[in-house]
Amino acid sequence: MRGLWAVFVAFPAWADTPVFVDETVGSGLASVYAGDWQYMVGGGVSAFDCNADLLPDLVLAGGEGAASVWVNRSGAALRFEKAVSGVEMTGVTGAYPMDIDSDGVADLIVLRVGENVVMRGLGACRFERANEAWGFDGGDGWSTALAATFERGAEWPTIAVGNYVNRKEEAFPWGSCTPNWLHRPGEGGFAPPVELTPSYCALSMLFTDWNNSGQVALRVSNDREYYKGGQEQLWHIEGEPRLYTEAEGWARLRIWGMGIATDDLDGDGLPEYFLTSMADNKLQKAVAQEPLVPKFADIAFKRGVTAHRPFMGEDLNPSTAWHAQFGDVNNDGLADLFVAKGNVDRMPDFALHDPNNLMLQQADGTFVEVADKAGVASMRSARGGQLVDLNRDGLLDLVVVNRREGAQVWRNTTAGGHWVGVRLHQDGTNPDAIGARIEMRAGDRRWLRETTVGGGHMSGSLGVQHFGLGVAEGAEVRVVWPDGSVMGWTPLAADGVWRVTKGAAPVAE
Amino acid sequence: MLRNLVFALVFALSPAMVQAGEAGPVMRQWYRLVLELVRHTPTYSPPVASRSFAYLGVTGYEVVANGTPGLTSLAGQLNGLTALPRRPRMVYDEAVVMQAAMALSVRAFFGNTGPSGQQAMDRMEAVLAAQVAEGVPPDVVQRSTELGQRIAQHILDWSASDGGAVVENMGFPREWVVSGAPGRWVPTSLVAQQQAPLLPGWGQNRPFAMPAGSTCDLPPPPAYSEDPESAFMTQAQEVYDVSKALTDEQKTIARFWSDDPMLSPTPPGHWVALVLTLVDREGLDTPRTADALMRVGVGVADGFIGCWWGKFEYDTVRPVTVIKALIDPKWEPLLITPPFPEYPSGHSTQSGAAAAVLSAVFGADYAFDDPTHEEDGIAARPFASFRVAAEEAAVSRLYGGIHFRAANEAGLAQGACIGGYTVALRTLP
Repeated sequence: MRGLWAVFVAFPAWADTPVFVDETVGSGLASVYAGDWQYMVGGGVSAFDCNADLLPDLVLAGGEGAASVWVNRSGAALRFEKAVSGVEMTGVTGAYPMDIDSDGVADLIVLRVGENVVMRGLGACRFERANEAWGFDGGDGWSTALAATFERGAEWPTIAVGNYVNRKEEAFPWGSCTPNWLHRPGEGGFAPPVELTPSYCALSMLFTDWNNSGQVALRVSNDREYYKGGQEQLWHIEGEPRLYTEAEGWARLRIWGMGIATDDLDGDGLPEYFLTSMADNKLQKAVAQEPLVPKFADIAFKRGVTAHRPFMGEDLNPSTAWHAQFGDVNNDGLADLFVAKGNVDRMPDFALHDPNNLMLQQADGTFVEVADKAGVASMRSARGGQLVDLNRDGLLDLVVVNRREGAQVWRNTTAGGHWVGVRLHQDGTNPDAIGARIEMRAGDRRWLRETTVGGGHMSGSLGVQHFGLGVAEGAEVRVVWPDGSVMGWTPLAADGVWRVTKGAAPVAE
Repeated sequence: MLRNLVFALVFALSPAMVQAGEAGPVMRQWYRLVLELVRHTPTYSPPVASRSFAYLGVTGYEVVANGTPGLTSLAGQLNGLTALPRRPRMVYDEAVVMQAAMALSVRAFFGNTGPSGQQAMDRMEAVLAAQVAEGVPPDVVQRSTELGQRIAQHILDWSASDGGAVVENMGFPREWVVSGAPGRWVPTSLVAQQQAPLLPGWGQNRPFAMPAGSTCDLPPPPAYSEDPESAFMTQAQEVYDVSKALTDEQKTIARFWSDDPMLSPTPPGHWVALVLTLVDREGLDTPRTADALMRVGVGVADGFIGCWWGKFEYDTVRPVTVIKALIDPKWEPLLITPPFPEYPSGHSTQSGAAAAVLSAVFGADYAFDDPTHEEDGIAARPFASFRVAAEEAAVSRLYGGIHFRAANEAGLAQGACIGGYTVALRTLP
């Protein structure tokens, strides 16, 4: 294992409460995640540049309605135009962007109730079905989670698909979790998928190097509502997939797992994991020991991120959490946490008016709720979401998909600290360097970001990695590329996006 | 799989499974669904589950008693239960009566379940209603349906006043002041919701067959002391020592009886599931099936009321708190410590009650295999008697590290006493 970093001690925090402006109406974004039982989960949004204008465009799941692609026309204000993209399929629960064929144009992996579809990016935000061309067996399931990476040395990606209950067992779905699939490279595309069994109704998946070993594992968050004998999972992925066992230190956890967010909150070089659920949510930190084993302590209560019930309003029943994502919304150098909330479907024992959370990390590592003050405490029934800089002003904006109600988008107008954006690139296979590890430092502060596809609740981004820097006017970046080679510490000026290409000096974008 | 087998029978519209005139199969099918609803309805902690099993059992039994000469109604025997609606001298179909009663009751007790449970109840009601009405004259169907609903509604009205009808915040008070006195319960969980104990007023609920929650009193637990030679610390040391030397068999026992809410049918559901297994094994007729399900439900429900009375009377600390403070700060029990006071053990009390009741129904030396958790990958376990099973349930809490020995032993004794009141109910001729 590589050496652990010293734990961050102090860094001047930018104390501003973020300010978001709801620009849903003016933006033109209009999409509803519609449908009944089969759409009680899902409802993702992905953000990536599909027309090479450097602005992240959006793909929103529509459930029973059609999925939609929205071309980003934002200037100072946020604005979107609906594209004719080829993605207008029904049954979509979410879509993740990834350059599958390494042609420099992002493709899409579309998860559905029914056949999953890989779509080749054609540019100009148009896509075409590529299942047959790439040998991708989309199956016929109820797909609700995805993680993707390029295994070391592979010319083609590895995609893990999480599946939910057997939708044909609608009268008695409990215990009918269907197998998850691992699509690995094959001849000229994907090999037939192998089943990742046992499978326990996955609602989020993430390839992550949990122990900084240089080898990713597959973390799977499962919905205990439907499995029998199940639990959260961590898979060894090298060679034949196999589960981490109790003998290896894995500790059983059984929650209504719905989403995974990750960040290195304390700068120790190891990622923490926030797991969404119903009532209390979990924040896991690896228990310090040598050698490190996959044993995690729940520090949510200590850090103030249980987010177990609405923090405002009169409905004090337990909350239901879905997408979660860390991001520094006020650029103070500390990762904050957004959590999308919404009742599953008229469950009276859980909050029916369940505001989304935006929790600011403080210098002492605790979090403080500011969603109401920041203007993003929507009471709609949220599912997916993304914190992403939609107008390239250095501030993370917010887009949220809601069930049976319109999606919402907020522009971040916070007068925050400095920031820097990093867009990784490498020539040849895997041009977006999925699987790379970005390390950043400024003064005593260190940041870690794994470039990955997956996690959240059916939602993700591809492109610029955003780092808030607080008062620092620059930072140094170090990249561990997917092949294990390392770009040494390299200075970056604050308040701009840098294209960092393997083997070349960073270039301002 | 067992689940597929059972429900394929229902949802394949098999007329051989549920027929007009046969009330027993209708009741059993609803119970199969109820065991899942208990597992998947977030308010269904073990005490809440036991309450529903009791009312559903009484409903099923009263439906059967209503149409079976010689059976004695529970009205006047159970606390506050008044005379049930009588049926005019006309033709009824007993399966239709049962179907109507169970459908209304299950919907009432599980109206707060999630969308999958709602869908399952819809489907169950539609399929069974069609099956039981097949070949039955429409006027008989209507009359029988109305009778079943009247019986069910009578019991629902009765249930509304027992003190347990409303469960908010999954049973956890939103405000709670921890005693702070040495030896008193303190939260053991890092779950924010569980910083208050589960259902602190449950012991004040109206019991079913016993007079009051305090009827079967408990000896005080060993007095709290930090003296290593004290009785209290001796039992704390025992929990610690046992945990450090657990055999595979002891771990299996702990997990077999863990019966975690939301991940199993809960401890009372474990006993109900077992009764369903034994009813099938023995081929019990409808009156005996209804009697057995009623008795196990009433027994475990009274068990939880009595146990909860004791828990909040004594308000004692859990092993994990004591051991971490005084023996080993890094110690962790095998099982997750439940979020409420320690003494007596809930599983022990309700298992003691269930064993007393079922010994009376099936026999004191009745041997059986318990396959309750097979679908969760936990193998069936053989038992020589219900008493042996209850004793294993009790000691499982020691192996799991969540109870001291005194809580298990006192719980078993308390349960046996409580179960005696259920055994005394007059039902079958």
